[in-house]
Amino acid sequence: MKNWFRQHWLAFKRTLGGMLRQPLTSLLNLLVIAVAAAFPLALWLVISSLSGVAGRMPVESQITVFLRSSATEGEIKALRELDGKDARIARHRFVSRDEALKEMQQSTGMGDLLAGLPDNPLPDAIIFTAKSNQAETLETLQKELAVKAGVDEAQLDSAWARRLERLLALGRAVFDAIAVLLALALVLITGNTIRMQILTRQDEIEVSKLIGASDAFIRRPFIHFAIAQGLGGGLLACGIVALALWRLNPAVRELATAYGQQFALTTPGLVSIALVCAATTLLCLFGAWLAVWQHLRKLL
Amino acid sequence: MIQFQQVSKRYPGGFDALKNLSFEIQTGELLFLAGHSGAGKSTILKLIAGIERPTGGAVLVNGQNVGSMRRSSIPFIRRNIGLIFQDHKILFDRSVYDNVRLPLDILGFDGQEARRRVLAALDKVGLSGKEKLNPVTLSGGEQQRLCIARAVVHRPAILLADEPTANLDRDYANDILELFRSFHQVGVTLVISAHDESLMADYGRRILRLKNGQFTA
Repeated sequence: MKNWFRQHWLAFKRTLGGMLRQPLTSLLNLLVIAVAAAFPLALWLVISSLSGVAGRMPVESQITVFLRSSATEGEIKALRELDGKDARIARHRFVSRDEALKEMQQSTGMGDLLAGLPDNPLPDAIIFTAKSNQAETLETLQKELAVKAGVDEAQLDSAWARRLERLLALGRAVFDAIAVLLALALVLITGNTIRMQILTRQDEIEVSKLIGASDAFIRRPFIHFAIAQGLGGGLLACGIVALALWRLNPAVRELATAYGQQFALTTPGLVSIALVCAATTLLCLFGAWLAVWQHLRKLL
Repeated sequence: MIQFQQVSKRYPGGFDALKNLSFEIQTGELLFLAGHSGAGKSTILKLIAGIERPTGGAVLVNGQNVGSMRRSSIPFIRRNIGLIFQDHKILFDRSVYDNVRLPLDILGFDGQEARRRVLAALDKVGLSGKEKLNPVTLSGGEQQRLCIARAVVHRPAILLADEPTANLDRDYANDILELFRSFHQVGVTLVISAHDESLMADYGRRILRLKNGQFTA
């Protein structure tokens, strides 16, 4: 066991030494891996930052029903009585056209404009609050309300929040696809790098095999190289992303403030750094293993 | 120790290197394989070391059939064998010392013991004091000795030498054969191939003569 560790340690030192002896090549190799890993990491951070915003948003389960001007007292009464009859409705509020006009004059500063109108253009409205905030329930309720007698239009107030939610779901799907592609790219990149190394060390491998080296012995330096590449590349990727976000965030904050939001993109934390490094290391390992296996299986 | 039972070897393309060969090599024996190039000498050595697999028959080394052995078991057979190659197969990206050390690294020897053994092996073949040199600076004969040092450093029970005296002048070849004799004296089983029989005659050992993959009288 001690011997096993010693062998690994010796091989690892040799690998690091080899990388340091060719600093430029090693750096370029690391950069390729880092860039490939940085892209999905950045995308992931943006998505999760935006998900945070979407989560903070109060999910309104309100449906505003605008009434026709021709709606009769009886129709209005029937609508208001749904609160109590329909189990999905928690409460309601009737906003008459006069109240609506008053509210609008106060809140929007368009008082003068509205005062200049010959008569009130606003309809009566009933604001229903549903018990559930499930999108499907709300949508069915909205559709049912829209076709009731005396109703001109029924609007689901949370629509835009759900649109953001859907956009994020799309973003996650895009992330999945990109992550899979770039994972494949990482495997191929390392596999190819290792293949080149194998070619330059073909004599050593051949002689070692003839002297009685096991496949594991021959694989060892390449595996170590892959681990060093994966770890280094992962860390470098986190660095690149952190730097990019640090440059981007002031602008993002300003944009958010303009919309009255407190928001900034999250920089990679310890957990994400660990995850990224683990992912790049495993992928590089896999690539190296494949390359060595591909070469060794031809040798007896 | 080594048994060939009706062994045939046909290389891809249809060339029959060995045709139905049977023979036995005793533990501690020094055996010469003689014959022209292409007679099948190298193939016999390769079959013993598991570098090639026979297309027929069985090659037994210490009772184990090397020919049908799992790929993953072959390294363990080879660790008991020292190989001396016709083309030396020396690694020129490292020192003489590191070349000889390679088998010990594979076997997992520790620093002190490994160093002691490497220096002993180099001393045995007459390359003392050259351990720090790059093998490129060695002469052909010295490279051959380096190859021998690497083959014996882990003290294998069997030593296989493929044309070790080729390209060497007579005196140098005799030195090398003397070296092999000293290994033989400490109980190592040796199989040496050569096309020049005049060298072997002096040693009065068993000689297997090959022609077109078969024994001649």
